[in-house]
Amino acid sequence: MASRYDRAITVFSPDGHLFQVEYAQEAVKKGSTAVGIRGTNIVVLGVEKKSVAKLQDERTVRKICALDDHVCMAFAGLTADARVVINKARVECQSHKLTVEDPVTVEYITRFIATLKQKYTQSNGRRPFGISALIVGFDDDGIPRLYQTDPSGTYHAWKANAIGRSAKTVREFLEKNYTEDAIAHDNEAIKLAIRALLEVVQSGGKNIELAIIRRNQPLKMFSAKEIELQVNEIEKEKEEAEKKKSKKTT
Amino acid sequence: MAATFFGEVVRTPCRAGTEDEEEEEEGRRETPEDREVRRQLARKREVRLFRRQTKTMLEVSLLEKHPCSKFIIAIGNNAVAFLSSFVMNSGTWEEVGCAKLWNEWCRTTDTAHLSPTEAFCVFYHLKSNPSVMLCQCSCYVAEDQQYQWLEKVFGSCPRRNMQVTILTCRHVTDYKTSESTSSLHTPFLKALKTQNFKEPPFCSLLEQPNIVHDLPAAVLSYCQVWRIPAILYLCYTDVMKLDLITVEAFKPVLSSRSLKCLVKNIPQSTEILKKLMTTNEIQSNIYT
Repeated sequence: MASRYDRAITVFSPDGHLFQVEYAQEAVKKGSTAVGIRGTNIVVLGVEKKSVAKLQDERTVRKICALDDHVCMAFAGLTADARVVINKARVECQSHKLTVEDPVTVEYITRFIATLKQKYTQSNGRRPFGISALIVGFDDDGIPRLYQTDPSGTYHAWKANAIGRSAKTVREFLEKNYTEDAIAHDNEAIKLAIRALLEVVQSGGKNIELAIIRRNQPLKMFSAKEIELQVNEIEKEKEEAEKKKSKKTT
Repeated sequence: MAATFFGEVVRTPCRAGTEDEEEEEEGRRETPEDREVRRQLARKREVRLFRRQTKTMLEVSLLEKHPCSKFIIAIGNNAVAFLSSFVMNSGTWEEVGCAKLWNEWCRTTDTAHLSPTEAFCVFYHLKSNPSVMLCQCSCYVAEDQQYQWLEKVFGSCPRRNMQVTILTCRHVTDYKTSESTSSLHTPFLKALKTQNFKEPPFCSLLEQPNIVHDLPAAVLSYCQVWRIPAILYLCYTDVMKLDLITVEAFKPVLSSRSLKCLVKNIPQSTEILKKLMTTNEIQSNIYT
């Protein structure tokens, strides 16, 4: 029965499904994990780096992209679809700045991306974009924001979220470990993002990429060394916690 | 011809009668060329069992030549990786046969010289205990080839005093449930067993209306008909390609009677599995 409603995405199935949109959500799960955390004074985006072929230029395989000086996004899903969405969003950011002489708010650009995605779920002959995005940044008022969009064109604000493969596992980890204490300090928010990724990343710290935006500061991409330092700190803390636990039981 | 609401063009039955029927009959009559094509296709799709070491075909079925009390079959790359890492590293396994087959899913057109990686269906027995047999099947066995495969492996009159364990994976979107699919914790195991299998399974049984497909279903049906105790462990996952988390989802099966004595060093197995992941990683730029 489902196959009859897959062909034209403008058609609902009898039980109210838009199957192409749901299939697009499956395409998102094929992308590697991305996690976003909204701290008190920082926003963090962490992604599982895709392994790059030997002859491939690593700089051209990026999951975290800046949309403007104060907004960046991470995506999961179809690479080509992401490129198209990012390009349109970047143009919109500059167009907005030129027109109203103000940079976009994070919510504005998220709404723009979500509206674009929704249009593609309601047009004949087009398929939905096969990507979910985590959009982070600071508005002029200095408040940090984290939004998530999905192929259906919905968008919501989150304190912390994950998309892509094993997103559920990471989200459950965040639900248990996201506390006001954990995000009060910038370093703790960064560590939370890395710890969440380490739950699902197969080969540890060297497969993680991290970006942060601090209030009134531009986007900062962490180098491999900086990530390694953080991972080592996390592992030390883990060992100490385990030692304490075993002392308590004895 | 008629068009449906969705724009499909469908052939409607003609009520006028004879003219169309004659045309259809002409189309149905088989020419000698058709018969030759059919014969060639059947030869191309034949399942052959042979010994790679001696390059000789097996004259009898595999289990007639190598009777066993335990037969473990891994179908699909995740199940194969699981057996390679957790079972095959603990002991010396000798290859006793290889099934060579071709179908439309194979990525080669040369049916005469299929390499082991393309016709990946290899059978091993444990040197220290030859009554334990293992099958690693990474190729797709088409519907019309499944019966041939069963005959060549099990034979026409299989022994009942053996236990068969089958491991395979399926995409979670095939799993029918009244729960929302977003609430499912993938990967997860489900079991389906024959009537004669008395041991309790290591996970819940597969609920209706879910069914098993392809070669695992064929093997299980065969065992049910011949009253051979058999159990299938089906892992529903959202990652069908080789994936560490999916492979590790099979771990509860290591406590089963068939596999318990074959598993020696689990930490070492995990390391072997990680190496397997990195060496088999396929570069794809479609998804990021």
